[in-house]
Amino acid sequence: MSSVNPLMPQQATILDITEETPDIKTLRVVGKEGMPFDFMPGQCAMLSVFPVGEAIFSITSSPTCRECLEFSIKDVGSVSGALHCLTPGQQIGIRGPYGNGFPIDQMKGKDLLFIGGGIGLAPLRSLIGYCFDHRQDFGHIDIVYGARSPADMIRKSEVRETWRQEPDTSVYLTVDAEFPDWDGNVGFVPNYVSELAFTPGNRVAVTCGPPIMIKFVLQALEKLKFSPEQVITTLEMRMKCGVGKCGRCNLGPVYVCKDGPVFSLAELNALPAEY
Amino acid sequence: MKKVIAREKLPELWAHLAAQGPLYLPIQDGPVVLFQPWAEGAEVNLDAVNSAVSPKDIFLPREETFMHYRTSGRQLEMTPVEANEPVTAFGVHPCDLKAIELLDRVFLDQDPPDALYQNRRDKTTVVALSCREADPFCFCSDFGVDPADAPGADVMAYLTDSSLLLEARTEKGKALLEQSGDFLADASKESFSGKEVTTADFNLQLEGLAENLKERFDDPVWDQLYKSCLGCGVCTYVCPTCYCFDVEDFGHEAEGERFRCWDSCMYGHFTEMAGGHNPRPERKERVRQRFLHKLQYYPEIHNEIACVGCGRCLRSCPVNLDIVQAIKALGGETVEQC
Repeated sequence: MSSVNPLMPQQATILDITEETPDIKTLRVVGKEGMPFDFMPGQCAMLSVFPVGEAIFSITSSPTCRECLEFSIKDVGSVSGALHCLTPGQQIGIRGPYGNGFPIDQMKGKDLLFIGGGIGLAPLRSLIGYCFDHRQDFGHIDIVYGARSPADMIRKSEVRETWRQEPDTSVYLTVDAEFPDWDGNVGFVPNYVSELAFTPGNRVAVTCGPPIMIKFVLQALEKLKFSPEQVITTLEMRMKCGVGKCGRCNLGPVYVCKDGPVFSLAELNALPAEY
Repeated sequence: MKKVIAREKLPELWAHLAAQGPLYLPIQDGPVVLFQPWAEGAEVNLDAVNSAVSPKDIFLPREETFMHYRTSGRQLEMTPVEANEPVTAFGVHPCDLKAIELLDRVFLDQDPPDALYQNRRDKTTVVALSCREADPFCFCSDFGVDPADAPGADVMAYLTDSSLLLEARTEKGKALLEQSGDFLADASKESFSGKEVTTADFNLQLEGLAENLKERFDDPVWDQLYKSCLGCGVCTYVCPTCYCFDVEDFGHEAEGERFRCWDSCMYGHFTEMAGGHNPRPERKERVRQRFLHKLQYYPEIHNEIACVGCGRCLRSCPVNLDIVQAIKALGGETVEQC
């Protein structure tokens, strides 16, 4: 064949698995010779479990971590379910990286506001880790993270402890309802963002989470006078090829797997609202 | 290089070409004509206007296994599979070859190239066949296709009542005619040209259509247009420019294969995500997606409408919700000046 088949996975091995929540596990994955490929925050990879199939997942580790790739995966479908049944040492198929990633160059020199909900923290965590490792390139960092309950938060030790110790960084946690031993905020993420009254200033806001949360976070940021260019989010669509050909994630003239999944609100506003 | 062969000698040429590798020809299969690999006794029908299904499956097969997997314990082994035989696609009409060129933009020109498609494209010699007649559904002229000539052909073929004239246009085409020399007579002094064929005139106004559609995503026309659609997907199946595909595994835990196969944006599962969310949940959204992809989205990327006027959706759609109806409903009809 004259070129490499982009649909052909390479072999990878699961190093270890962490149970994050009752339905989310984090898999650490290495290729045959270390990192399967280089990537940037916000990019994704296709993971294969035979004969179940293949699905796309965002990479949650930072590219500054050179040991392995990490994936925080919620058990919602057939492939994610199969991945949840695996044990360390198991080999799987992997291909990537796919997608555009976050616009890091545009974010340099700016204050950053990360707003995540539930498993939506997974792609944000890659970017957050990258920013901490290039701290001098960015201004103040605010992180707002919410989940249904304290038990549903992923990367608990990072969000509760490690990130708070990073310089010039504020972390705000919220859960949907009162829970015993919970001393953080109670309420939905969009409301909490409004209450915290972030000013647009020199900020870029990046939000990932369930569609309903994103919808109301975007409204909250608009009320706080953030411009559409200052707001960045990610789209989730069904994908099979990852290279802009199979047609599933087609949205107007873009293919989310290739031209996304990261879009500014300004870019999103120009696309058909069919996601 | 120009050659000629008498019609009655064609089966000898088919047998010769088929011995080198799969030879696809328009073959009469009961009531329909389909591009199929030739075998002894096949009823080749070069006089047919158009095959029921386009010959796109020569390059993008309905099903194509591209790897085998095998597991033992925790170990996984994946082995690529690729097609190696040279293929001849014989009798491809100009509209269908134009459609393959539209697929090339997606599969070859856009990074990364699709290696499976590229492999089949590289290994296939296309003998295009000039049309001698059009049926009432042929409207390729609206898309700049000349039914008499296919510029992208390796060999351009012209059928007469008694013979088939063959003109090599590329190195690949020349090689095909050279290695078939025993069956062909020299025709270098003859002048070849196709018959002038008049195609249907549906009064389409395609200029500016893609641009106009940008404002019509939420147009009420979609609330009516989709209603007759049964969601059967035959339009995508017969269409030469539809290329959506699926990737699936077949096998069990120990071994099996991964293949890709045609899929259709007309089916609900196409965009249904794990967890149940579906961005195109109803026929309305799916009909809109199919027509806007052909008439607006593809042109936005490739500067050309993704339709070649082959007429297959007009012939096949059980409820006549074809692309001509869609173009007209979306304002792409010439309005006569009074």
